[in-house]
Amino acid sequence: MIFPTFPLWIVDIAGSVLMVAFSFLCLRLVRKLKQYDLDNVIWTYLLWVCYGLAAFSVSRSAGHILKQLLLMSAHETLWLSIRPFSGAINTFMFVFVASVTLFFERIWKLYQQILKDKQKLQAMHKELLYLNQNLEQLVAKRTQALTLSEHKYRRIFEVSRDMILVAKKDGKVVDLNPAGHAMLGIDAADRSITGCLFQQFFSKEEDWNAIQQKINQRGFVLNFETDFKVRDGANIRALISGSFDKGLSQDEDTVLFLVKDIEERRSMEKQLAQADKLASIGQLSAGIAHEINNPLGIILGYTQLLLRKEPIESERHQDLKTIEKHVQSCKAIVKDLLNFAKSSKPRREKTIINKTIEDVLGFVQHHSNTDHIEILRDYDKKIPELMLDEKKIKQVLLNLIMNARHAVGHQGTIALSTELDADAGRVFIKVKDTGYGIEKQHHTSIFDPFYTTKPTGEGTGLGLSVSYGIIKSHGGDIFVESEPGKGSQFTVVLPVL
Amino acid sequence: MRNNFQLFIIFLVFLITERLINPDLALATQAHGAPEGIYAHQMAHLIFAFSMGFLIYWQRKRNLVREAGWRFIQYAALFFILWNIDTFVVHLLDEQFNIIQVKRINLWQMQINVITGHRSLNVLYYFTKLDHLLCVPGMLFLYFGLRRLSEEAGQNISENTQP
Repeated sequence: MIFPTFPLWIVDIAGSVLMVAFSFLCLRLVRKLKQYDLDNVIWTYLLWVCYGLAAFSVSRSAGHILKQLLLMSAHETLWLSIRPFSGAINTFMFVFVASVTLFFERIWKLYQQILKDKQKLQAMHKELLYLNQNLEQLVAKRTQALTLSEHKYRRIFEVSRDMILVAKKDGKVVDLNPAGHAMLGIDAADRSITGCLFQQFFSKEEDWNAIQQKINQRGFVLNFETDFKVRDGANIRALISGSFDKGLSQDEDTVLFLVKDIEERRSMEKQLAQADKLASIGQLSAGIAHEINNPLGIILGYTQLLLRKEPIESERHQDLKTIEKHVQSCKAIVKDLLNFAKSSKPRREKTIINKTIEDVLGFVQHHSNTDHIEILRDYDKKIPELMLDEKKIKQVLLNLIMNARHAVGHQGTIALSTELDADAGRVFIKVKDTGYGIEKQHHTSIFDPFYTTKPTGEGTGLGLSVSYGIIKSHGGDIFVESEPGKGSQFTVVLPVL
Repeated sequence: MRNNFQLFIIFLVFLITERLINPDLALATQAHGAPEGIYAHQMAHLIFAFSMGFLIYWQRKRNLVREAGWRFIQYAALFFILWNIDTFVVHLLDEQFNIIQVKRINLWQMQINVITGHRSLNVLYYFTKLDHLLCVPGMLFLYFGLRRLSEEAGQNISENTQP
């Protein structure tokens, strides 16, 4: 079959020229790409592909053009001698381009890895640059934050009203806050506490053992109530919570204790119980007194009626007089009981308390031998007139002064003082003696009715309980501070109305 | 099992030694006859086509074809595969099977005869000889692809260097 050769020549020659032209244009573009980033392996890879393709295009196109020119000029023999070289170079270039292309995956992975590393390096470089530029500022800022934090926690440690104690697991004290020093009665400047054993402050050794056992088992102890021996020998009730704090090494293991002084709370609870007890007794007494008062009145009335009819010298008259005397004595006790039970409301009138005290003192000095007893007075002249039932307050003061007089015996000192606490709106009246004092176990009972330490017949045991009732009915309070051998001080607190 | 394998190795070594020391054969240097060139060239075409296929596969696997530059390079690889097939067929008909006979009649005409086989093969041969119609577009797409990559790289650099 006959075919035209012209299309073959045109396509061959034009195609060859275009192949060479485009291959070099490609080469130029990749070289330009490479200039953007000399270290980019993808561009390096494409450069090698383009080198291969350019060499392939040149060898192939040169061969084709030469072939057509030699054939057209009837130099077929010459072409036959050149043809193997052209073909061999061509084959070699195929293999070269193919070989380079087969590395694409590896090169791409390498490129991605390099890119990742580069990004990491850039990020690190940025961070380093930032740190380098702001290091001083950052250090200052963090130091300040650290100082603030340290100060904050140090302040919590120092200003805490409860004891914070850091100890080793064996109880050796590492640190103790000022509240702890105060609670244990140790001078804050005394550093000798560090290294002491915490358990030495426990009144009962078994309490410490129980705490230690709980910490070992659970890692903490919560609200354990115990008694602490403080430096002056006194005991205080305390509530202990502790947590085990694991350190970096066993030597650094510590236990953090938080100790709350509940002595005051316990004392208040006792006072409340006492008040409750007295209120109950008062209620009972009032009931009994009310029931007894009427029959006593009838007995007294009939006794006095019978007395009128009996001659004075008669034996019956003497008997009736004895009955009358004892009935009146009973009535006085009933009256006292009613006073203690606050059954009657105080009749308040303006009273100058310092004057009232002086009146009572004058009465005592007149009726009792106080020659060898020193009376000290310290009155606060700023005390305003108080709204009180003067008669009943006089009874209270009389009871207290007479008790003090009895306590000091034949020789001693009784100190009377008044004080105004304007902010609290209260007046304090203190009666202090240098007598033997009251044992601690009696402190809770002295206001109980019929409780007395005097020999039988010398006191009814109603004086202080009646005083208690009167002061309570005035909205005030009465309490005692006493230590055996140091005397007693009774304090009456009255509201300023 | 292991003894059988040892026996096989000993037999193989004996056979090779016997062939090497046989004076009838000169095995030191192998001769490269005429058809070897066309075989090497055809293999090179196959390797070239395979490598281009490999390139397309990885580009697609790595989702590079989403970018216009790499997409053009993918088209270039596809045209180079077609070109390799085309030239492989030409070499097969013309030089390996020798079923095509080309005779130049004059400057403007040529006669293509099919010695054995289907007569329409001469038409196929004539058109496959126009292989530049495949490789030139391949190179053109490569150029477009590289140009796009170059533009993007230049754009990235100008963006990064902007204050």
